[in-house]
Parts: sequence; C-alpha cells; structure tokens
Amino acid sequence: MSTTRSLHRSQRQGSSREVALKRVLGIGASALAVVYALGLLYLLVRGGARLWSFTLYPTPLAGVDNEEAMRFVVAAGVFGLVGWLALALVRAVLARLERPRFAAKYERGAVALVALAGALVARDHLPRFLVLLPSETKAGGGIGPEIFNTIYFAVLSTAITLPIGVGAAVYLARFARSQRFVGAVRMALDTLASLPSIVYGLFGFLVFVVEMKAGYSLFAGAFVLALLNLPLVVGIAEESMHAVPRELDEASFALGATPVQTALRVTIPYAWPGILSALVLSVGRVFSESAPLIMTAGTTISRSNAYSLNPFRGGETLAVHLWYVNSAGLAPDRADVSAGTAAVLVILVALTNLLASRFARYGGAEGTRTKKATR
Amino acid sequence: MSNVLIAPSVAEPRRVPLTGRPRPGEAVIRGALVACGWFVLATTLAMLGFLARTGIRGLGEVGVGALLSGDTWKPEAGSFGGLALIVGTFATALGAIALGAGPAVLAAVWLTEFAGESVARGYRRVMEIASAVPSVVYGWLALVYLVPIFEKLAHAIRGDDAPVTGEGIAASAFLLAVMIAPTVLLLSLDALSRVPRPLRDASAALGASPWQTAFSVSVPYGWRGLLVATFFGFARAAGETMAVQMVIGGARRLPRDFFFSPTTTISAQIVMDMQEARPGTPENDVLYSMALVLLSVSVVVVLVTRAMARGQAR
Repeated sequence: MSTTRSLHRSQRQGSSREVALKRVLGIGASALAVVYALGLLYLLVRGGARLWSFTLYPTPLAGVDNEEAMRFVVAAGVFGLVGWLALALVRAVLARLERPRFAAKYERGAVALVALAGALVARDHLPRFLVLLPSETKAGGGIGPEIFNTIYFAVLSTAITLPIGVGAAVYLARFARSQRFVGAVRMALDTLASLPSIVYGLFGFLVFVVEMKAGYSLFAGAFVLALLNLPLVVGIAEESMHAVPRELDEASFALGATPVQTALRVTIPYAWPGILSALVLSVGRVFSESAPLIMTAGTTISRSNAYSLNPFRGGETLAVHLWYVNSAGLAPDRADVSAGTAAVLVILVALTNLLASRFARYGGAEGTRTKKATR
Repeated sequence: MSNVLIAPSVAEPRRVPLTGRPRPGEAVIRGALVACGWFVLATTLAMLGFLARTGIRGLGEVGVGALLSGDTWKPEAGSFGGLALIVGTFATALGAIALGAGPAVLAAVWLTEFAGESVARGYRRVMEIASAVPSVVYGWLALVYLVPIFEKLAHAIRGDDAPVTGEGIAASAFLLAVMIAPTVLLLSLDALSRVPRPLRDASAALGASPWQTAFSVSVPYGWRGLLVATFFGFARAAGETMAVQMVIGGARRLPRDFFFSPTTTISAQIVMDMQEARPGTPENDVLYSMALVLLSVSVVVVLVTRAMARGQAR
C-alpha cells in the first residue's frame, strides 16, 4: 500500500477543482466517522454515571439462588478488565520509553491475580446497578440477572454453534464429494444468512413455544441464535481451512495419517485462530440480538430463578431489557437504567470486536498474514 | 494408482489418495461431519417449510387481495389490511438507502483511494464497532433524541397546528440510515480493496490524477460490489425490528401524513402482535403470511447478489 501512496504523491495531483473536491470528500467522510465515534463515547459517558458508583457499604443480597457466585464472577470480570486496561497502559508507556518488554510471561498471571483479589475483596462493593435485580416500578433497579442471562446465552449458543459449524466447515472444506450436496448446503447457508432475525424468532416460537408447548426458554433462544450464527461461523471457518497450506496436509498424509486424523490434528489446529475469531464475532451477535429472543425466551426475570443454570426457564438479556424498559417499563429512572444498560452493551460489543480482530491477526482467513501474502 | 501399494485395504482408492488405513471409529467421525452438513440443510428447509405452511394457511383464511389492499391492520376485528405494513417496511428501507448508502459508499472511496493507512485502520475500527452496536441501542437513542427533533421539524414544515408527530417514516428512515451506513461502508471497503493494484498503477502511468483513477478505474471496476453492499443494507433495513418498532409510532394503519405520522412495519407488527395473538388463529397465521413477504424480499436479494457475484467472478 505504501508504495501506492508514494506513487500517487509523485504524480500530478490533478486540477485545482479535483483537489478541492477531494478535500470536501475527505471532510465529509471524516465527519461521518467523528459522529459515530462521538456517539459511542457519549453512550459510555452517559451510562458510565450509572455504572461508576462503587459503594462503601455492602450491597444487600436479594436472597436468590447462586447470587453470591454471580457476584464473584461479575467482580472478577470487572477487575480483570481494569487489570487488563492497566496492563495495556503500562505496556504503551514502556513502548514509548523504548524499554524492553518487562516480565512479559507474568502479565496474564498478574491480570488473573488482580481479578481474583478484586473479586474476593470487593465483590459486595461493586456498582449496585451491575448486581441488583431489575425493578419494574421502583427506581434503583439493577441488571444483574440480565448480565448473567446474556453471558449464559453466549455459552449455550456457542455450545451448539461450535461443533455443528466447525463440523460443517470441515466437511465442506475437506470431505465433500457430491457437488450437488455441497451446492445445496451453500445455498442453505446463503439463505440463512439473508433471513431477517425476526424470521428466526417466528420459527423458534412456532417450534418451541407452539409445537413443543415448552413455553419461553433460554434453550429455545440459544438454539435460534445458534442457527442465526451458523452461516457466519461456517463461512469464516471454511475460509480459514482453505487458507491452510496444502503442503501441511500432504506432509501429514505422507506420514501415513488418514484424512480424519489430518483434519483433526493438522487442519483444525492450524485454522483455529480464524475459527475462534468467528466464534467471538458470533458471541457479539448474541449480545446484541433482541427480536428473536423476545419471541423465544420472553421479556421477564423471575425472582425465584434469576440466576438459575436451568436452560429451560425463560429470561431476558441486556438488549431485550433495554427495549422492555422503554416500551413497557414504569420505573421513574428508566432513562438512567437504559443509559447504563446501553453502556454495558457497548463495552461488551467493543470487547468482542477487539478480541475477534486480535485472534484474526494470528492467522485464519482474515489474518493480516494471509492478506499480506496475497497482496 | 500408487496408493494401492500403501493401503491395499482401502476400498475406493481413487477417493482416498495416498493416505493411511482408516482407523476404527473414523467412520463415526466422518458420519458426524456429513450429519453437520445435513443439519444445516434440514433446519433451513424446516424453517422455510414451517413458515410457508403457516403463512399460506393465513393467506387462505384472509385472502391475498384483502391482505395486500386493506389499509387498516386490526386482526382482532377481522380487518387484515397488510398494505400499511408493507408500505411502512419499503418506505423506511428505501429511505434509509437513499439517505445512508451514498455517504457510506463515498466515504469508502475516500478511505481506499485517498486516506492514509493509519487513518483507514482507525476509521475501520470505529465503523466495525458502530455496525456491531445492538439495534436497540440505536432505537433507544433515536427515541430519546431523534424523535423530539423530528417533531419540531415536522411542525416547522407542516405548520404548527398540523396533526403530525416526530414518530413515523421520516424518523425511522433516518435512524435506519444511521444504522446501515457502517455495514454498507465496510462491505464497500471490501469491494474496493479487491480492485487489482496493476489497474491503478496503469491508470497512474497514463497520467491520470488520483481523482480520475478513483472514479474512472476503481469505482467502475468495483461497482458490482458496491451495489451488493447497498442491497445488503436494504435487506438489513427491511428486516430491522426493534429499533424501528421504537420510533415508528405503532399506529396500525397507513400514515395520515406520509413522513411525520405514526404507522408500522411488518417486523415491528409481528413482534407486537405475536405476544397477544393465540397460536392457530387467523390473527396469528396472518403474521406468518407477512413474514413470508419479508422473507421473499431477502431471498430475492440473495438471488440477485449471487448472480452478481458470479458475474464478477467471470
């Protein structure tokens, strides 16, 4: 790319009209990005007011099953994030000072230690908003169960997407024989990718709530989200398997390995960063999807099983909560509740995006390595 | 074939070239892999089948003509005028494309042709996060900040006493434009980055300025990709549910004032009525009919983009 730039600079810049047009285009495009960036920043600042209130006195427990375990996990997450940010800061400063990397092998351990210590010491002094139960009518409700459900949804749906998505990708990339079957599967994936998410919601509602009479459940929602994510995961996983050098597979065959052994021990491990980045992206979609969940998992939090691990109960996620609070909520502080929920959502989505691009950098279809090689 | 020497017991040497003897249990793994492929196929067919069955039943109960012509959607009173829903969906989605696609594509052109590499990287990161922000967050922001602005705008345009509100097609289209612009921009960037280097170099060697290269070489080369990006933006806007539901107003009829009065869209109405209509009744079935309308739009988009991608490959 850099050579292209210098080529451009050394050639004629074009007429003054073109230069002016270019400037206008640049200002417009930059303004667009600045608006989005400021919007994201505003969401963080506006909601941060609700989040940033560590309490001196312990937050009372609501007396719900698993509540204490949940607090521990949230505290570990919050302090892990703080530790990670601090580490990034230290690293940036050290890089600026041009000092050699400092005790790199203890970095992960340090972050884990900060998370653990924070969780042990301060789990009852977290921002109340993050750990309290939501409140329908009174001010001061939290989003504890919504955070739990959001993460539980991510785990459940990944547990379905991972084996089926990777299995289908391995099949398409390495074992497919019938061209007609492959074409049909690809057509199916294209169709799935194009369907509006509300259609997934209708399907889940029809199958789980109507036909199976199972009512609203986390499992139904997770299954529907897994279907929604299949095209993405299969697509990226297959691409990163195609990016595995042929020589590696052939070397494995030459050593006497069977195709199955080669796929399991050579192809999948080599393509793993790409697969991982696809999974992280799909988790981001789980965080942000709301319409299909309203129709399969409902919009309520029941006090009796707010933190239950039973996947056959109903429950709302953060995104659904944000909608519900604004369309049916009666709490007087719903503007603040919405802002705080939105800020948590933006943080979660930004984190998944950063993680996905970090994984992708180490290889796979979207990796810079393959991009550099093909450029 | 030489693999006969290595693995004489392989029954079909042509299919398993130069590899070891299958281990016990491998057939199970192979079977599982094929099953994954079948799972994808079967669930897709099941999904389309379920929806088509219920949707067609709904069409039969209500009648296609009534569904597509009536202007009031009041299923509980036996009035199934789907026209309001269809008009709402297409008006908001087309409005979103009209407002959002142009700036997004132009910004993508600027990024690939004129911007420095570090600027482009930061820009991309911002847009990736913006495109991943949940639609309810956009919907909430629009509900709180955009609707009051549009209310003032509506009164400024139509007069102070006009029966107009901030909610409606104009606000929804603007919101959708903001939502789809990052997606369209990212897809356009991908399309433009596929323009081969030698083409640009050749253009520069002929003495073309960067501006001429951009708009006479890169954009014409990548126009299919740009069009595909716009189509995807349209499909996303048409299928968007929660954000639109929060600002469209939720009136179940054609809007009194086309731009500034409450109406509804297909997906918003589905999510609202689904919680009330009892399964198996015409009120419920007809929602699936409307979903079929939505689904056929997206299937058409897939077919068009596939055809275009094939055209590009050639």
